[in-house]
Amino acid sequence: MEEIVLEIENLEKIYPGGVHAVRGISFNVKKGESVAIIGSSGSGKSTILRCINRLIEPTKGTIKLNDQIVNNPLADVNEIRSKIGMVFQSFELFSHLTVLDNITLGLRHVRGLKREEAEENALKVLERVDMLDRIEAFPGNLSGGQKQRVAIARALAMHPEAILFDEPTSALDPELIGSVLQTIRSLANEGMTMVIVTHEINFARDVADRIIYMDKGIIAEQGPSKILESPKSERLKQFLSSMDEEI
Amino acid sequence: MRLWDGDSGVSIVNPENRIFSWKSIPRSSRIILITTMIIVVLITPNLAEGYYESSWEQIEKNTENNYNSAIIDENGDAWVFGDNGEIVFGEKMEQWVNFESPTNENLVTAHANNERIVAAGNNGIVIYKEYNSEEWIEIRMETQIDINSVSINSNNEIFVVSNNGEIWCFKEDNWVEIESLVSEKLNDIVFEGERGLISGSSGLILGSENNGENWEIRETPDEVTDSEIIAIDFYGINRGYAITSNGEILKSTQEELTTTVGYNWYLKEIESENQSTSLDVNLTSLEVLSTTKILLSGDNGYIALSKDGGNIVTPQLLPIEGDFSINDIAMKNAFVGIIVGDNGTILYTENGGEDSAVGFEIIDLSDFSEFVDFTKDNLLEGLKATVKIVIFGILLGFFIGIALAMCKTAPTTLKQMIEGDLERTLTLFWVIIPSTIFCIRIYGLGLGILSLSGLIILFSLLNYYINKNKIEKEGFLSISIPNGYRTNLIRILGLTLLIGMPLIGKWEIKGGIELIYTALSDFYSFHLGSNTFKLSAQIAYIFAPIGDPSAFMRLILGVGVTYLGLLFLTTNGTFSKKYIPYGKLVFISLLWVIILAEIFIDPNSSGDKITSWFDLGWRLFLVLIGLLVTKRILPKEIKSVLKNSNDYTLTFEPWKIRPLQVIATLYTDFFRNTPLLVQFMFIHFGLQLGKHIQNIGLDLTSDLITISSLLGPLDSLLHPTIDYISESLFGPGKRSYLSAIFALGLNSAAYQCETIRGAIAAIPSGQMEAGRSIGLTYMGTMRLIILPQAIRICIPPLGNEMVNLVLNSSLASVIAYTELTRQGKLVVAITFQIFWTWGMVMIAYFVVTWSLALLLRRLEEKTRIPGLGISGGN
Repeated sequence: MEEIVLEIENLEKIYPGGVHAVRGISFNVKKGESVAIIGSSGSGKSTILRCINRLIEPTKGTIKLNDQIVNNPLADVNEIRSKIGMVFQSFELFSHLTVLDNITLGLRHVRGLKREEAEENALKVLERVDMLDRIEAFPGNLSGGQKQRVAIARALAMHPEAILFDEPTSALDPELIGSVLQTIRSLANEGMTMVIVTHEINFARDVADRIIYMDKGIIAEQGPSKILESPKSERLKQFLSSMDEEI
Repeated sequence: MRLWDGDSGVSIVNPENRIFSWKSIPRSSRIILITTMIIVVLITPNLAEGYYESSWEQIEKNTENNYNSAIIDENGDAWVFGDNGEIVFGEKMEQWVNFESPTNENLVTAHANNERIVAAGNNGIVIYKEYNSEEWIEIRMETQIDINSVSINSNNEIFVVSNNGEIWCFKEDNWVEIESLVSEKLNDIVFEGERGLISGSSGLILGSENNGENWEIRETPDEVTDSEIIAIDFYGINRGYAITSNGEILKSTQEELTTTVGYNWYLKEIESENQSTSLDVNLTSLEVLSTTKILLSGDNGYIALSKDGGNIVTPQLLPIEGDFSINDIAMKNAFVGIIVGDNGTILYTENGGEDSAVGFEIIDLSDFSEFVDFTKDNLLEGLKATVKIVIFGILLGFFIGIALAMCKTAPTTLKQMIEGDLERTLTLFWVIIPSTIFCIRIYGLGLGILSLSGLIILFSLLNYYINKNKIEKEGFLSISIPNGYRTNLIRILGLTLLIGMPLIGKWEIKGGIELIYTALSDFYSFHLGSNTFKLSAQIAYIFAPIGDPSAFMRLILGVGVTYLGLLFLTTNGTFSKKYIPYGKLVFISLLWVIILAEIFIDPNSSGDKITSWFDLGWRLFLVLIGLLVTKRILPKEIKSVLKNSNDYTLTFEPWKIRPLQVIATLYTDFFRNTPLLVQFMFIHFGLQLGKHIQNIGLDLTSDLITISSLLGPLDSLLHPTIDYISESLFGPGKRSYLSAIFALGLNSAAYQCETIRGAIAAIPSGQMEAGRSIGLTYMGTMRLIILPQAIRICIPPLGNEMVNLVLNSSLASVIAYTELTRQGKLVVAITFQIFWTWGMVMIAYFVVTWSLALLLRRLEEKTRIPGLGISGGN
């Protein structure tokens, strides 16, 4: 029995304006599993992701990481967050630091490593995302794809239990998407636990072990990737056909 | 200069790009810079061009005899008396001849009035001469005592004084001894009208009010009981001066209308001797030229002039060399006179003995180059003073500003403090704050503040080490309150906040309710408002805070504490919004009660048509406001009160307030809503902050010196350093300096805080998210990620702030700190060249401010992040 890394139970989030973004979600993520969450805008995908590492406080429900309750008021949030990596849609690299320093920041200040050790680890991770040639560059001098790969490296460097991807390729040109997707794919193949929110249906089909389709704050359908070939629910059918039209 | 890399050593800026890196200056420039500095330091211009010369002219001497005494008689002729009975006559002080003397005894003292001249000396010799006679008549005393001083009273009777307290009077051709009741050596006697004064050894002064018939002892300061009062003199009816052999000057004035001069003697603190009471000269004689102008003579060729009654005593030059004694001074008026001394010395002056200035240019202030020469030192001093307060002001403002910005953006809500961090909050309220209060009460404010910081640091460190590396932190210091008790503990906390700690004496801590009650009753006792039931009648209470500042503090504290106390007491553990049913209706009704009271209750109606138009306008205005507020707050349809009573409920979220933000807002609201000029005056003259800081600083210095003295050999290095720093920061006259720094710094901090906060807000929230998602704490993300980027953003507006600060420093002139503007005022007062002076001041300010602006421009360039932001150019 594979251990469950992330367990979300009855997650609900009501924003202060009254928007009921998430209306009771439950799902698990096993170790080494990559789960893709798809759905149209406003269906609550990003909210779920941000609730997992408590960047947004859930209104109701429980989130557990390795059997430890994340949204317990007494929990040490920072400790938990350092175990969950996150990659953002807008990359969110630290623009005043070089690529190398972006990676080593977390290692030195959260994990407490010395500079040399941190740089060693950083270089390893950067090699993995194929960014060794630009380690002294500033983020402002990088292309979108390069930035996102550095962001992935930054998340990886902390050796997280799971990585969350919030629409990693939505801000990229189609030409640049390829390198990022390749990186994520290789991560999945190596057995990293991942939750990916994405619009790339093909990518989801390719990489994800399980797909969750969200609609208006609830899980409309979930299952292995073949549900994209043969969707059961009406909503998913509509969604997929509208996505096909776009492409 | 590294920017915000904390201890991570992350090189934000490449070494080659650092602003003040020595290596970044090319070699040739470095050489030029060093050479210039050496030249400037070593070669100082030679300034002195003028010099002083003596105004004393020596009368050609024809003897080596000692001249002991001199007088100017009624005709303006000078008589000099010396050893071996020598008498020298100086007609109009121009022709000097020896005069036939009836005696060979040493003549040591002389006096002249409008009828006769008298001289006296050793072995009881007394000689006198009437004006209309050419001869000196001898009236030697039978008892051949050595006479020290002679004088004539208003009855033309001759008085002499001698050793052993002997006073003799020559009246009706006989020498009669006057009872003195003392046995000290008597040195000098003088009369003014019927008033007489005698001075003697052991600090003795005798006085007589009846022409010398009776003498009584006058009180002299304790410090002179060992001194010989050598000479004593009146000036007019309300001044008396005396000098001692130790170089001290005594002064007597007419104290009140009932006390005449000669009764109260006090020792003059001589400013020019650093407030010492002694000139360190063996004084021999004094002559009072005017109420404040005195000449003093002494051993070793000493002659000195004071023009301000002994404050500043300046030795004057003599045209002759030699260590002989000047024995007596005789002045015809304030300018013309002679001094006589040993070895036949007679010196004449027409200038009151004052050195004449030779070769000093008379500055023509209407010539621009001379004006600049004259004033540039002043303005330079002013510039230095301005720079001093500006630097400290900027530093203070910046650091306090950052702290305030942090407080304002700190996300810790009350809910987090109570729900998540209950243990820490309880420790704060039940342990740290009471101990601080007790500490302040017992040991004073300084130690109390220290103890507060110390305790906070101690507990934080303990907590950090105990909870390090724990996944789920276990409360505070490993004390975790079990769930069932938490809510009740919160309620108990609320209760303690309301009622405080009702112990006795200094162990009592007042609760919120009591604080409000005492504060309000203190305010009420001022009776600032009238008894009418309307708001405007009580408006004078707005000034109550300054009537009793401590009551105002108590009121604010009390309100805050009561609010918290009630909130905690009534909690049900959910920390959610609070609802007051029909709350809006209640609020609107209250509002209308106030407005209607304002409008209709009107005991002061004068009925005069003109004022009642204004009243009418005012009332209509109030009604208008009331209607607007009502429309805004109440729901549109009044009918809905039946359907949906929810519309009238007042909701608020008390748990969402952020305590740090509240405190920071109080600070910035105060400093941003009052003008800087008024703040300067309030801080310096009202709060006297400069004085208090000076006292704290001096206490601190003495403590440091005590500590330093225990360090043995290090002491010789530390002690002068501490002294020097203390002198330059807390020395006398530094009060306005300290006040200026604090007024500027604290004010600027409020503005800089808003600027920094704006810069922080400009950073995309994703940066904070990214930082937190790798596990950094809030402060960690701030320090490492947000602030480095925010600083770059806020450099232009902060530069603005700093320029403002430099220019606002000119306001320090109102608290008598002589910075550039005040120097300008002084220069204008001296030179009357208004345009030039203020023009130079403007140029000076421009130079300083512009350099700062250039510096900031360079800073902006150096700290630009490649690829980030639109800054013009690439």
